[in-house]
Amino acid sequence: MITIELNGQQQPLPEGSAVSDLLATIGCDGKSVAVVVNEQIIRPDNRSAHLLHEGDKVELLIFAGGG
Amino acid sequence: MRPLPDWLTDERETAALAAMLSPDSSSSLEALAAESRAITLRRFGRTMTLYAPLYLSNYCSSGCAYCGFASDRKTVRHRLEPDEIRRELAAMKKLGISDILLLTGERTAAADFDYLRKSVEIAAQEMQRVSVEAFPMSVSEYHALADCGCTGITIYQETYNRERYEALHRWGPKKDFIDRLETPARALEGGIKSVGLGVLLGLSDPVEDALSLYRHLRHLGRRYWRAGMSLSFPRMRPQTGGYEPPFPVDDHLLARMIFGFRIALPDTELVLSTRESATYRDGMSGLGITRMSIESRTTVGGYHDTDKKEKGQFEIFDDRTAKEFCAALRKNNIEPVFKNWEPSYNGPSTEGNNATIHSLEAKPCH
Amino acid sequence: MDSLQLGSYTFSSRLILGTGKFSNATVMLEAVRASGAQLVTIALRRFNREQAEDDLFGPLSAIEGITLMPNTSGASTAAEAVRAAHIARELSGSPFIKVEIHPNPQHLMPDPIETFEAARILAKEGFLVMPYITADPVLAKRLEEVGCASVMPLGSAIGSGQGVATAAMIEIIIRESGIPVIVDAGLRSPSEAAHAMEMGCGAVLVNSAVAVAGNPPEMAEAFAEAVSAGRKAFRAGLMQKSGSAIATSPLTTFLGTY
Repeated sequence: MITIELNGQQQPLPEGSAVSDLLATIGCDGKSVAVVVNEQIIRPDNRSAHLLHEGDKVELLIFAGGG
Repeated sequence: MRPLPDWLTDERETAALAAMLSPDSSSSLEALAAESRAITLRRFGRTMTLYAPLYLSNYCSSGCAYCGFASDRKTVRHRLEPDEIRRELAAMKKLGISDILLLTGERTAAADFDYLRKSVEIAAQEMQRVSVEAFPMSVSEYHALADCGCTGITIYQETYNRERYEALHRWGPKKDFIDRLETPARALEGGIKSVGLGVLLGLSDPVEDALSLYRHLRHLGRRYWRAGMSLSFPRMRPQTGGYEPPFPVDDHLLARMIFGFRIALPDTELVLSTRESATYRDGMSGLGITRMSIESRTTVGGYHDTDKKEKGQFEIFDDRTAKEFCAALRKNNIEPVFKNWEPSYNGPSTEGNNATIHSLEAKPCH
Repeated sequence: MDSLQLGSYTFSSRLILGTGKFSNATVMLEAVRASGAQLVTIALRRFNREQAEDDLFGPLSAIEGITLMPNTSGASTAAEAVRAAHIARELSGSPFIKVEIHPNPQHLMPDPIETFEAARILAKEGFLVMPYITADPVLAKRLEEVGCASVMPLGSAIGSGQGVATAAMIEIIIRESGIPVIVDAGLRSPSEAAHAMEMGCGAVLVNSAVAVAGNPPEMAEAFAEAVSAGRKAFRAGLMQKSGSAIATSPLTTFLGTY
């Protein structure tokens, strides 16, 4: 197992997980979400290829109401 | 032939001013005067800045049908040499003048850019503020003038009616309407701090010309938003050459224009010269005009040699001395201001170097 | 056709609606539909597993003719705003970005220096930058110079409902601006929106006044009507207002009579 930082909180993941695996794990697949790994935006077509590593800082962002 | 720019014909821009200038306007002249006076007082206080013109040369290469200096006139031509300029400046300083406008005709070999630049240099040593009303120049020439201490350029379109313009400017470099129209922008690109625009009232439909003038000023103001702006309202007077203005402007219409522009442009300097009578100028003091010329001589060398009999570019109507004129201003509770600029601020503005709004499309937001 | 031009985008509606502070997403979506708005602001939030918020992107994009304008709220520096803009563009596909940088969470006043810097960078990157600013005419021209698509001066403090308290400054901004001026923040009632439009604003942005109204969709519609009425009045040309009484002793006697 590895541990990543997801939106500021610790998140364990099986080794070799891709971004798409993370999204499935937390029930976020199929949603419109922006993924930022270590300050780098990961586009949808790269998410299954982009592997996560120990200590990676991952941010998931969605659109919410705002003025 | 290059087409007119869109901003020049945008009637939406001038809807409010047009309503004020219309002969069947719902606003009475008296109501406009009251509004104009209130705005002037609020923005400029009880002051009037004063300047005087200095005609450097009456050589001219243009054939402006209405001008006493046109190249086909029999007028004796001369130009002031450096020592004569110094002599004129000294005579002007004795009258209290420290803000001057240097004038020449269109560019000629006798009075070319180098001559003008040297004259500015001399004037800037003596005077607090030096502006120029001469011939259209290039951006780099304007930059060089700004370097020598020129802070303002006056350049009138004369008329914004292109057909009238082309008919009146019979020959010479001034014949190109669009080039003339683009000249103030070149001055500002070159770092000149303020431009003065105007039409020569009487040449063409005065209300049409006034509305185009307003659009020109607003266009420049949006694009060169750091620039100072002034507007003049010269009316055609009888002069050498005997040109009779085909669209004479009466006292009431001129007043309506001055009030209308003041209301539409609360921050713009409005200028009235000695072409107008003492009564008219005194009446307008405090109502909208914020800058006036005094002690004008429209002949070359007229300050030193006051007995000159030769005819100038136009006839002076208000020929009071500075002292008499200031007394009249004070009687009106207005302070004459002789110095309104400090030469340590001379030099090109940052406008030319800085990012300006380069979209030529800069237009009103409607 | 009288339309609002922002970059290469053309909108027939001059009401921009914010989507915050609504009681729920259903009401918000109803209000958006009722408003006829074609440009709608949204904010970026961190995804929260426990408190799964409704994702607004899907349902909002499903409304026909809607363009999304993400904001950078939460950013307190230019760098944070630029980063938020990149992420927002990734998510929305929209070139619009409302640059909103307020370092102080109490009064939420925009930081002019950070806003200018972020706007400069983002405009260069090709965003249609819509900066939320204090009603400062010089700042507005500086932002126009660096290529913003509009400027959005505040009418009064966000959520304060004090209307166009900055009217005198906004008038100058409108007079001098070559890009649309959009009053953002502070509007409480449709009449205030109409006032802003009568002054010559290109559009108004409304959020709280609709979101916290008794009936948000109905209020959205009221704002839409007020915005078109105000715009129509501006185009028709308002009568000159006379701020000065006519002097008892006439000012123009020196002119003589005809």
